[in-house]
Amino acid sequence: MDGCRGVLAVVVAVALGMATIAAPASAAIVGTEQMLSPSAARNQVEAFIARADVQQKLQDWGIDPADAQRRVAALTESELQGLAARIDELPAGAGALEVIGVVFLVLLILELVGVINVFTAI
Amino acid sequence: MAPPPRRWRAPGLLMVALMIGACAGPETLRLRAESVPVELAAVPFHPQDEYHCGPAALATVLAADGVDVSPEALVPEIYVPARQGSLQAEIIAAVRRRARVPFVLAPHIDAALAELHAGRPVLVLQNLGTRGLPVWHYAVVVGFDPRQQRFVLRSGRERRLEMSARRFLQSWDRAGRWMLVVARPDAPPVSAEVQSWLRAVAAFESLGELKIAITAYRAATRRWPAVPMTWTALGNGLAQRGLWASAARAYERALTSGGDTPWLRNNHAWVLAQMGCRADALAEIDAALTAAVEPAQRDTLRDTRARIETLQPDAVCDR
Repeated sequence: MDGCRGVLAVVVAVALGMATIAAPASAAIVGTEQMLSPSAARNQVEAFIARADVQQKLQDWGIDPADAQRRVAALTESELQGLAARIDELPAGAGALEVIGVVFLVLLILELVGVINVFTAI
Repeated sequence: MAPPPRRWRAPGLLMVALMIGACAGPETLRLRAESVPVELAAVPFHPQDEYHCGPAALATVLAADGVDVSPEALVPEIYVPARQGSLQAEIIAAVRRRARVPFVLAPHIDAALAELHAGRPVLVLQNLGTRGLPVWHYAVVVGFDPRQQRFVLRSGRERRLEMSARRFLQSWDRAGRWMLVVARPDAPPVSAEVQSWLRAVAAFESLGELKIAITAYRAATRRWPAVPMTWTALGNGLAQRGLWASAARAYERALTSGGDTPWLRNNHAWVLAQMGCRADALAEIDAALTAAVEPAQRDTLRDTRARIETLQPDAVCDR
């Protein structure tokens, strides 16, 4: 329920934000993006919901609402739909530092079960 | 340590053989055929703190293209605290915010080598873990030494990390072979294919950054003048800025170079109508309707036709 309310709030916020963007002067012009990917027939409603979903997700992940709004505004509709579909599975490049920890842990386990013998000094 | 029991050896050897087999693929062979070393020593270095490898790597490639931004300034744009990392789509968006074209390279190591030799560092996503237990990491490739078969990276806290080609290719392959370069709108990267460049630029157009889109489309017409889609795209950018006459010229160039599609005719028709050439515009949209078969496309074309009909019929055509 809370999640629903959150999404709803974001939908409203996005709608208010979009309302301030002027409609393109040449509405009859078909954009290059649509020409290049004919399969991605733009569904305005889907794109709109994707934007709200991604913004909500970013907020859930600890990004403040104003930043989250700015961040989704910089993404195209196709990028947003790609994100909305599988944002949880997508890689988020982190740091090489934690690798050291993982490697140490693996070595330690291998050592303890007797597969390797690198910590001879221990 | 005692040798493992005999019955384990065969599968073990087989596994090793498979792993080697998987690595001596076309990419490895390609690297072995390389003979000229390259290292972009001047590429600056931003050591990462904690999980900020995305901001650090991005600041590095941006700086190499003349955009001065600190990793800290990029954190609020691309860092996701709960994921302790950065998403590829947000890195792309952050490049666009700085008026540079984020260009994702073709998934072949050739593309990276070509960019390095042209002086462009390459941001890569690596998976330093396994497929099942991924450890994602962003780094910047700045060089390759063919004699040692080693890549040189700006990575984490290491200004000059050397990584064997084998390990690097594995980590890159496990991360979906994602590589990105940063380009000025007027200079498509050497390895760019026309379609991928236009796609990368089209995002600016969709987001209303028309000046950048036009510059980048114009660069495409210079590099690939025989490809009609470059002229069509340029026309689209110009038309959306209301620069009707130049848009019409670009569309006409697309048509004469064999780019006849219903969408092109649709846009050309609208531009002609805006120039007061109503009869020409109607002829053009009817030509589009004759060629179009897809229902959704026909709907759009009919919509354009209806809009053209509502325009002033007695306007002066200044073609």
